[in-house]
Order: sequence, then C-alpha cells, then structure tokens
Amino acid sequence: MSEAPADIEITDPVTITLDGRQVVVQRGALLIDACERNGVYIPRFCYHPRMRPVGMCRMCLVEVDTGRGASLQPSCMLQCSSDMVVDTQSDKTRKAQEGVLEFLLLNHPLDCPVCDRGGECPLQDQTVGYGPGETRFVDEKRHYEKPIAISRTVLLDRERCILCDRCTRFAKEVAGDPLIDFQDRGSRTQVNTFPNQPFASYFSGNTVQICPVGALTAEPYRFKARPWDLEIVESSCTTCSVGCRVTIQSSRNQVLRCLGVDSDPVNWGWLCDKGRYGVEALNAEGRLGVPLGRGRSVKTDDETALEEVSWAGALRTAADAITSALDRRGPEGVAVIGGARLTNEAQYAWVKLLKGVIGTDNLDAQLGDGIPAEIVLGLPLATIDDACRPGSTTVVVSGDPKEELPILYLRLRHAAVQDGVNLIEIGPKAGGLTPYATVAMHPLPGELADLVRAVVGGGAGGAVAGVDPASIERARSLLADTDGEMTLVVGRRSLSEDTGFTADAVSVLVSAYDKVRILPALRRANVLGALTMGMAPGVLPGRVALAAAPDAYSTRWPALPAGRGLDTTGILTAAAEGRIDTLILLGADPLTDFPDRDLAERALAGARNVIAVDQFVNDSVRLAEVVLPAAGFAECAGTTTNIEGRILKLEQSTTPPGTARPDWMIAAELAAELGSDLGLDSVEQIWKEIAELSPSHVDLTWEMLSDPQNRDGLVARGDPLPGSVRFEAPEPTAHRALDSYSLRLVATRKLYDEGTMVGRCRSCAGLAEETALAMNPHDFERLGVEDGGRVTVSSKRGSTVIEARGEAGVPRNSVALVVNAPNFDVGTLIDANDAVNEVRVEALQSVAGETGSEGGS
Amino acid sequence: MGYLDGFRVTFKKLFEQRVTQQYPAEKQEKPVRLHGRHVLNRYEDGMEKCIGCELCAGVCPAKCIYVRGKDNPVDDPVSPGERYGFVYEINYLRCIHCDLCVEACPTEAITESKLFEFSFTNRYDAIYTRDELLVDGDGRPRQLPWEDWREGEDEWTSGWMRATSPSGDVAFENTVAWSGELGHGIRPPEQGQRADGGGE
Ligand code: SF4
Ligand code: SF4
Ligand code: SF4
Ligand code: SF4
Ligand code: FES
Repeated sequence: MSEAPADIEITDPVTITLDGRQVVVQRGALLIDACERNGVYIPRFCYHPRMRPVGMCRMCLVEVDTGRGASLQPSCMLQCSSDMVVDTQSDKTRKAQEGVLEFLLLNHPLDCPVCDRGGECPLQDQTVGYGPGETRFVDEKRHYEKPIAISRTVLLDRERCILCDRCTRFAKEVAGDPLIDFQDRGSRTQVNTFPNQPFASYFSGNTVQICPVGALTAEPYRFKARPWDLEIVESSCTTCSVGCRVTIQSSRNQVLRCLGVDSDPVNWGWLCDKGRYGVEALNAEGRLGVPLGRGRSVKTDDETALEEVSWAGALRTAADAITSALDRRGPEGVAVIGGARLTNEAQYAWVKLLKGVIGTDNLDAQLGDGIPAEIVLGLPLATIDDACRPGSTTVVVSGDPKEELPILYLRLRHAAVQDGVNLIEIGPKAGGLTPYATVAMHPLPGELADLVRAVVGGGAGGAVAGVDPASIERARSLLADTDGEMTLVVGRRSLSEDTGFTADAVSVLVSAYDKVRILPALRRANVLGALTMGMAPGVLPGRVALAAAPDAYSTRWPALPAGRGLDTTGILTAAAEGRIDTLILLGADPLTDFPDRDLAERALAGARNVIAVDQFVNDSVRLAEVVLPAAGFAECAGTTTNIEGRILKLEQSTTPPGTARPDWMIAAELAAELGSDLGLDSVEQIWKEIAELSPSHVDLTWEMLSDPQNRDGLVARGDPLPGSVRFEAPEPTAHRALDSYSLRLVATRKLYDEGTMVGRCRSCAGLAEETALAMNPHDFERLGVEDGGRVTVSSKRGSTVIEARGEAGVPRNSVALVVNAPNFDVGTLIDANDAVNEVRVEALQSVAGETGSEGGS
Repeated sequence: MGYLDGFRVTFKKLFEQRVTQQYPAEKQEKPVRLHGRHVLNRYEDGMEKCIGCELCAGVCPAKCIYVRGKDNPVDDPVSPGERYGFVYEINYLRCIHCDLCVEACPTEAITESKLFEFSFTNRYDAIYTRDELLVDGDGRPRQLPWEDWREGEDEWTSGWMRATSPSGDVAFENTVAWSGELGHGIRPPEQGQRADGGGE
C-alpha cells in the first residue's frame, strides 16, 4: 500500500522539535504527515492521507507539548504550530500504543493463517512493531457470521473489523456512494450495508485496498495467493484512458490482482472496479493463443470454420489479402479500424506499416463513437489537475464521466465538493456529476451548439434547447468570471447524435474564450496515443497533419498516403459498397461497438477479406479470414498515453498465452511478409524512433520515461505546433425540427456493458444492467405511456418492445437508452448518417396494466 | 613362513565380528528425530489439518513447497474453518529436510516421518502431491511404490511435534499443547520432555 503523504512545498514554515531534533515543517500540516516527511513513521489505522482525518483508532497517539505541558494527542488530528515538542518514543507514547493494540486485539479473531490480509496486514505489522506481545484477555471473543458478501466482489468479515471508518469514509467522502455505514452500538458496533441495498459502487474495490485489516476482502482474489507469492510490477491501467497507476501482482505467470498506486496528478491511489478486476479477462476461457485461419479463402462459405493455423501460414494469408487489395484497388482498398487498445509503440508500428508501407490513410482508432480527431489534436490539452484547480471553472461537454472515465469522475467530484471548482455540466441527460455541478444543463439532442451559443452570446433570455433561462444565465456569469481561462472536458455525449454538434459547440467556446484547454473524455484505453500516433485519417505521428507532412516522414518512411482517407463511418460505408477489399480489425468489434448496427453488418459482409488482430473471438472477429492473437495488458511492455497526453510506462508481468505476440511485432512481421522492413525490433528502439520523428515527443527519451522519479508519467507536448492538425470551426451541422410525434434518441454508455473485455471478466460479467427506455415523466401523458409500462419504440431502422421508465433527468421530448445493454442493442435503431436519430414511442396497451407496477425512479 | 604372512590380516578379519549390514535387506533402527519425508496429518475426526495458509511454502529455504488454498465446500468441509489446502506439493529433489516448514505450520498439519528411503526413476515422482502426502483413513502414511519401509516405521510420523517442548511457558509445563491425530489420538510426550522427567 502506498499511503505516504504527497510531498509538499513549505510555504509557511514553522519549527518543531521532533524526538529531540529541530525540523522545519509547514504550518497547519497534520503532525502525522509532517513526522513522516521527516522520517518518523507514526503507527496509524484510521488516518489516510487522501481522506479527512477522524481520530477514530487512537493508534497515532504521541506525546506533544504545545506549551501547556506534555500530553498524549492523536497526531492525525493535530496541526503543526510553532515550537511544538513532539516525542514519539517516550514511555508514555509506547504505553499508549501498547494499550491501543491490546484493546484492538481483544475481539480480534487472529485468523491470520486463513486471512487474505495475512502477510501484508497493518494490524499484524503494527502489533509486531508496537504491540504488548501478550494479551491478558482470556474470555470468549465476539462472534459474527464469517464473511458476508456486501456486494458481488466485496466480502465483509465483521469479526476482524477494527472500526477505523476508512471504508465508510471512502464510500461517503470519496466515492459519493454512502452505501455502507456503522450500525449498532457499543461492542456490537459493526460496518454493514442497509437492508436490500448491496454495496454496489463502481469504486468498492478501493475499500478492500485501504482496510487496515482483513475485514474487507475481494472475492476475486479470495484465497488465490499470499503476499509472498506475488511478483509485483508497477504499470498503468489500460481499461479506460485515465491511465491510473497500478501495481500488477502475479504468481506463477498469472496476473492475480491489481492495486492502485497513489499518483498525485492522476488517480490518487483509487481505481474503479472495472479496471481493478478487468485483469481477470486475461486468463479467461477463449483467450487466443494461436492464430486462426480458414481452410480455404472463401469468406462466404460457412462450412469453413476458423481453425488453428501456423503463424507463418496466418501471416502469409494476411499478406496475400493485402497484396490482392493493393493490386485490385491500390492503397485505398485497405482499411483499418481500431488500435486504441495498443501501446504507443504498437500504434506507431502499425501506422508506419499502414501509412508508410502500404500507403493507405483509411485508418481510424475510434469506432464512430468518439469525437473528431481535430478537436483532440488541434487544441491545447489540459491536465486533470487543470480541470480540478481550486476555484476554477470547468465545462463538461461529454457523456457521463462516472460511466466512462470513473476516476476522472472521482477527481472532478472531489474538485467540486471540496475545492470549490465550478462545474458546468452540459450532458446528454442527468448523470453522475449532475448533483455536484454548479450548473447542469441537458440540451435536446441536436441543439447543443444553440445552447452554447446562448450561454456565450447572451440574448433573448428564453429557454434554449429545452434548458431553462436561469441555468443559461448562471453559466454565462460563471464563464464571464473566468478571464477566459477554462478547461473544457469534451467527449461523445450520445452515440445517436452527430459529433458535428460537439465540434460546433467547441468552436463557439474556443472563439469566445481565449485560454480554453481541452481534456478529452474519450474512454478507449490509449485513444489519445492512437490519435497522436496517427491512427486517424489525415494525421501522422506527432499530431502532424498529413497535408503538411515534413520531409522527415517521406525520407524515413518508404511511402506516404496520397491524400486524406476515411474515418470509421466512411470505411464501413465504403466496405458495405464493396470498395474496401481488405478490412483489418485491430482489437475492434464494430458489430458491438459501432453505433449503427445495420451499417456495421453490411460492411463486414461487403469487405472481401477481414483480418483480425485480437485477444478473443468476438462477433466481428468470427467473420475474419485470419485471426492473429495479440498479447494483452500486462503481457507486453511499452507506454500508453492518457487523456492528458501523459506518457505512462507499461510493464510486462506475465507472458502471453501460447504464441500470442505483442501488436508491434505482428506489424513488423506482416511488413516483412509484404517484403518491407519496418526497422523496428524492440519497444525501446520504437520509442527512440518516435521521439526522433514526432514533434510532440521530441524531448521525451526512453531513459526519462524509465526513471523511477517519473513514474507519474511525463506529459507530451499538448499544444499545437506549426504543421499540427488544426481545429477549424466546422460548418454548423443541420438538424431537422422536431415533429410532434417523434422523440429524439439519446444513447449513452454504462460502465458495465456487453463489451468484449467486460464479458470475459468474471467479476464484471453479469453486472451490465438491462436498459429501459428512460423518458421525462412530463412526456408520459402526452404519449399515453405509464411509468413501468411496456412500449414499442421504433426508428426507421427497426423497432422493439421495451419497458418505459420515468427519469426526470432526461430532456423533455427525448428518450434515452443505454448502449450495449444485455437486453437490447440500441445500434439496431441508429442510422450513423443521421445527425439526430428520432424514434416514435407507442404504449402497448394490453401489457401495460400487468407490468405497470415495477420500475419507476 | 614367507608368503603366508601376507594372509595374516585376512584370516584375523575372517573370525572377527562383522560391522557391515546387508542393507537394504537389513536395516538399522533410526533415531526418533530423523527428518524423513513429510506427511499431511488429519484431526481425529478425519478432517485435514492443513488450511492452505502457505506459511510452510513461504518459509521453505529450498522453495520446494507449492500450496494453494481454496474455500472449504460448505456442505462437506475438508478442514475446519474457511480454507483448505487445495494444492499441496513438495519436490523431494529440492527438499533439504530442514523442518522449517514443520515449525512454521500453525496447525501441525505438516510433519516429517522417518521415511527417507525412496528411489524414483523420474522427476515427476519426486514431486509428492497432496494425495500422496496425506495420511490415509487410519492416520498412516501412504506407501508409494518406490518407497522402502519396514514394519512399524509408519508409526513415527509426528516425531518433530513430539520432540518440541510442550510450551515455552513454565505455566504450561506438563500440559500437552498439540492436537490429536487420526488413528493416534493425542500422542504423549517423549521421554524427558516433561518437567518430572516422565513421558514415553
Ligand atoms: S471494515 Fe476495515 S476499513 Fe472498514 S471500518 Fe472495519 S477495519 Fe476499517
Ligand atoms: S478509471 Fe480507468 S484507468 Fe482508472 S482504474 Fe478505472 S478503468 Fe483503469
Ligand atoms: S523440510 Fe525444509 S526444505 Fe524441506 S520442505 Fe520443509 S522447509 Fe522446505
Ligand atoms: S501445511 Fe501448515 S503451514 Fe503449510 S499450508 Fe498447510 S496449514 Fe499452512
Ligand atoms: S490514525 Fe490517528 S486516530 Fe487513527
């Protein structure tokens, strides 16, 4: 557990006497931290540097003289003031420590040999270090039922709890999910959940990590190993793009758990459960360890199932497919979707292969569910700390960060609740941040830019986009106080709405305020790296615009694309029309993730050959001609780029299954098969080439990245340089006026969905909730719908019967669905070419009565 | 006598008592504290003593023990408590019979027997699994095909526990501090272990 206090700069020094020596500390700092910074560790249980001190456990008692005589005081509750005399070694202090430990152990079961905490338990360690060595208590101890499951992943053994208030404080203060609390009184006091309300927090795993005893243990790690079995490396989580620092802990070549590392600029030690338990997918059934291919190269022949083939054969087939595409149509006949999960180095290798050797620019790491690359690459980037700077104003124009980037949500929530940051939330509907936002506005799909214009420009003062004038006025005055300096968190608000509206809104804000910095709220692990490395049409590594490519690229690379290529929607449309011969899926599953199901299906059917590089066979991979197995998280080293543009080291912990290889190696071997040498043979050397070529990475050497001092990562240059991709105000996207029968569709994400990795992670699978059709209760009457009643929802693409549920946070005249839910695939309703997708909703009269009682919000 | 002098030693030795033994047909008695191969013990009710805590594996200087724990099945628990040793393996190509594992074990599950005579013909046989180490239904070690045993040798399976003083504290002198075993009950202390000099 890395729970050391963050280093601080001393701005207001005071001198205290610590165990007889004079030390200079920050006035007002907590004594327990000040002592630790000066090399004196005071034992503690309840104090955690990322939470408010509560003084619950009394383990940190030390003898302090503040001028009124020495007395025992809890050092976690005491602020440093001048001339304090502190004695952490006095007899009185020692006696207090022994006493506290003897009391704590009175009712403690001493389960150490069967306790998952044994070997890394602060109670064990501190009993050995500061305890009395013997107990005088001979009576029967208190008993509770052995572990009770308080959520799918957290087990609570109340006998072991020392009532330190860490878990409950975390739930309340940090996560904002107060689902566990102290109950009962006296010696029967216990932590527990409320009846019928499990501890279903996205952040529940953190309580296991910070519990100073084995009272809270993680079901996925239960009895899996003991601390002395584990090999530990520090790396970064690549489940989403926040890039939380983690330690990957493995034993016998299997990753068994991930724990958060306190990285001050990023995750503060916290992780979300999806990231924490996501590593289970690495060992899941169906993980690919050998290449798969088909007997004959006839894609339409259903009889030819995927079977194991040799690497040489698989690479030959893939290279032949690419060569035949080149022969038939030239470079435009080859297209690639995906790549956001790769390391920076693998992304560079693939971009060099595709753009530099094959010469195609049809490459997009986002699956039509992101935002235009120009917003991310053409505007200056902000850090998470910028967005959370005390007293600042941050505008959030994205989907719900709680569902997409959980730890960014924790940081923003903390900023709003404790640091006075004004959040202006412009989301698709009310979400996790809404209760903490100073102003929360949820404009109708298609009217985002109108709302932003109204906020920026001022004007008539009426409601705009369904948002009340008071909120608009409030947002305007907040923004007026910022001196133009603000952070704009921008992501994909809804998958059924064109990103043109977002681009429009961004351009309005950027031209109105001169010091806007962007924090992209894109969820795929290394999507920032992908965009920076050129995995988007018109871009070359280092945010360089293809149109303005400097000579370095044409001299170092054998070829360059002739012109700008297609994005994912363009690629899929072209494939559906038979204009793409070879489609390469780089860890992408368009059949699940692309918002428009119909287009994705037609595209995969229309491409002559599909080549997949993946870890599992998912719906899209199943249609491939040849499947190349790739190494996953923890199985290959490299670097990743988080949403801030921070380059973070990834370490290898285990070896990939079978003969699966790192993605960069697959690119290099495919190039060799095509008769070209990428000249890339190690991760370190690839990075060197990136740093030489890419203007955004020039100053970042491998040595700097590997320096333990820089374990929090180094932020790559986030400001546009000459020759960079430029963000230009787009033509305003048009939207039709609402007819009185149709409702606009909002399609948003949930943390747990039916995605490839979530489904294979034992702890997360099954957590995906069914979606209901959420609508504003005000719309019920007009449409004749009842809360909980069943309705038919239909678009021009399809229709389904689903339960309607009232949700006040959904804008009026719209309905909201969750994408990738187990019961319904919203993609079947969406047409990616429509700026705003509209649906009709009709109550199913006959059934409404029967099911009318369930649901509601 | 000439050349016959040379046979003097030979003839003398011919009539002396011999010290060589016809090993393995004949064997010497083993000291009670000999460190032989391990056994995994059971309680008197047949439950396994091992709780899969891996302390033995952690302390082993030769790193030859591999243990993994698992939740006890609720309706048919293997050991008392929450966990049992699900995987238990000792590699006898590496074990140096130091008995640190025995000392580390909180439940007296792993102890050493006096059996050290085994000659495997492949490396896999050298890795004793949980099934091979566990005592049988009578609380006796299981004899493996490549082990050479004599009558009664399988009695001496918990020698180390019995050789340890009952407890470090004078207040507990003469109080047996070890638990009973399947087939043997609570074994008495050895000669000289008790303060009054009693014992077996
Ligand atoms: S369960 Fe753990 S963290 Fe929570 S109060 Fe008890 S000891 Fe503290
Ligand atoms: S927030 Fe993202 S990076 Fe952090 S633990 Fe969760 S998935 Fe991983
Ligand atoms: S006797 Fe020593 S070497 Fe052998 S298993 Fe036990 S601890 Fe390891
Ligand atoms: S033999 Fe003893 S020390 Fe080893 S795992 Fe079993 S109970 Fe633990
Ligand atoms: S750490 Fe100070 S009272 Fe618990």
